[in-house]
Amino acid sequence: MDVFHGLLTGFEVAFSLNGLLFVLIGVTVGTIIGMIPGLGPITAIAVMIPITYGMDPAIALLLMAGVYYGAAYGGASSSILLNAPGTSEAVATTFDGYPMAKQGKAGKAMATAAIASFVGGTISIIFLTFLAPTLSKVAVSFGPPEYFALMLLGLTALSSLSEGSTIKALISATIGFMIATVGIDSQTGTARFTFGSAHLLEGIDFLVLALGLFALAEVTSLIIFRKEKIAESSKIGSLKLTKQDYKDIIPTMGRQSVLGFLIGVLPGAGGTIASFLAYVSEKKLSKNPNAFGKGEIRGIAAPEAANNAASGGAFVPLLSLGIPGSGTTAVMLGALMVLGIQPGPLLMADHPDVFWGVIASMYIGNILLLVLNLPLIPYISKILRVPRPLLTSLVIVFCFIGVYGISFSTFDLFLLLGFGVLGYVMRLVHFPASPLLLAFILGGMMEQSFRQALTISNGSLSIFFTNPIACILIIISLASFLVPILKTVRKKTKVEQTMDM
Amino acid sequence: MLNTTNKKMAVVLLVISIIYLIVSFRLPSYAYVPVDSDMVPIALGVLLFFLSIALYFIKDEKSEEKVKLPKEDLLAILIVIGFIVTYIFLLEIIGFILITALFIFFCSWFLGFKKFITNLIVSIVLPFAIYYMFIALQIQLPQGILPF
Repeated sequence: MDVFHGLLTGFEVAFSLNGLLFVLIGVTVGTIIGMIPGLGPITAIAVMIPITYGMDPAIALLLMAGVYYGAAYGGASSSILLNAPGTSEAVATTFDGYPMAKQGKAGKAMATAAIASFVGGTISIIFLTFLAPTLSKVAVSFGPPEYFALMLLGLTALSSLSEGSTIKALISATIGFMIATVGIDSQTGTARFTFGSAHLLEGIDFLVLALGLFALAEVTSLIIFRKEKIAESSKIGSLKLTKQDYKDIIPTMGRQSVLGFLIGVLPGAGGTIASFLAYVSEKKLSKNPNAFGKGEIRGIAAPEAANNAASGGAFVPLLSLGIPGSGTTAVMLGALMVLGIQPGPLLMADHPDVFWGVIASMYIGNILLLVLNLPLIPYISKILRVPRPLLTSLVIVFCFIGVYGISFSTFDLFLLLGFGVLGYVMRLVHFPASPLLLAFILGGMMEQSFRQALTISNGSLSIFFTNPIACILIIISLASFLVPILKTVRKKTKVEQTMDM
Repeated sequence: MLNTTNKKMAVVLLVISIIYLIVSFRLPSYAYVPVDSDMVPIALGVLLFFLSIALYFIKDEKSEEKVKLPKEDLLAILIVIGFIVTYIFLLEIIGFILITALFIFFCSWFLGFKKFITNLIVSIVLPFAIYYMFIALQIQLPQGILPF
């Protein structure tokens, strides 16, 4: 099946009445969840997973694509309106978004964000359409050593690139991997770390971990700010962009989308890095860099285009290799697996209809986000007025339903609470949670491919070094976390030297 | 000695890695595979052991400052956890609709939601809506003591 035929089949599903309805629901719910400070795409996708049980996978995919894009856009809206970014991806949007809102141009800022998201998203999906099949053709020949090395690279890259200390991120990843070892070992049948509990034999469901570590842990910030009054910015102003505005933002969106996509494809580097890099580079390129930070329209277009392009780029390794490179794509992988879709090189070969269905639903989700959100902007700002206490209780209830709906066991609910507490403590002591989630999802696969590789080589570790691709990947992944550590050491000696002078 | 959060966390993690290692070493062995089920856990335990030692010695400005949490907020979080535990215990006994309605109402009220009528309407309508939506999706949530 070639590219266009594949996409056409995908669009057929998407343009049915049912398809459009579910994208609409997805975009709306995603936007609402994304707007709640602290809750981002990870929570939005995890909360929606139980709803897709028993649904037609093609329709469920559309729903998820809508949720995914909606959540990203929701994060941008709360950045602009409240100066409260929903996720780290939306932080760079506050730099110029909030000043614009204060000048009474919130409508214009939100329209710019919507257009830039759309452009970034669309450009990256076009790249994805052509790059993913090529890459999966290459990846078909990959064996266990290559896979192990690739996943190792993904983990170390995410750890070294996430905010804060690399050691903390690596500790998070190690703990995530440890949690993944709970349950029956698939090769020998040994029950590991179950402490005699029958509930743990099948291991821990990723949804329990994702909802606890992200959604439930973030509820605590809603509790802490429960009394904070939400600033009433009633006037959002006109949504219209002038011709000059378009002239300003079109080149910005173009180059930052390409940059964002490339960053997104790299394992570990995601929307956060892309959006910051886009903001900084756009400021440097500008003839008038002082305008940035004071409500410059390009300061919104750049991070939003890059951020959305990066999320499209992150789908390249997910769809073609079956390896997520970030917390968000890790949850997306979980969502796809719940639907019975196993991303990877064989997906394209064995189920081209599903493969193209995923990509087509991304096109549709992206287009509908623009079509639906532009006219809804004046109303979206009202969602932020839902009282925090009520919001808090509702988020908790949705976490319960999400977990109980898959396992029908109250044991998992206690586990959810436990992970919620863990996630909260991690935030308190500045340990990033994304490496934990990614390591948990990759852990099982990594262990399996590691042991398969060693089975092939009869127990000799040399297989990882005689295999050229695996060897190069392992060297890069070691370098990716050694370099930042060396840098901080060097910086410290430099600082000490200057202090001596 | 344990004056920073990092150092305290490092000690906790070190203890976790040792416990994890002990359990890993006690895993039963299985003779017919080149790599047994305890190999990866042992590697992970050793990794965490060394990382926690590294954490003890690194300096990191962000967490040098002591973590502060007002007592009032901590109490609120603990009470919400109490609500959650009650919910989990009663879910399969009194049923999804009833316990969810009670949870939404009391939790919102406790956190300072003053609009009594709105709260009442949301906490009654929403559980019913969710319950019947899941029935439509062919998922039966606990019915409990309510006859419908």
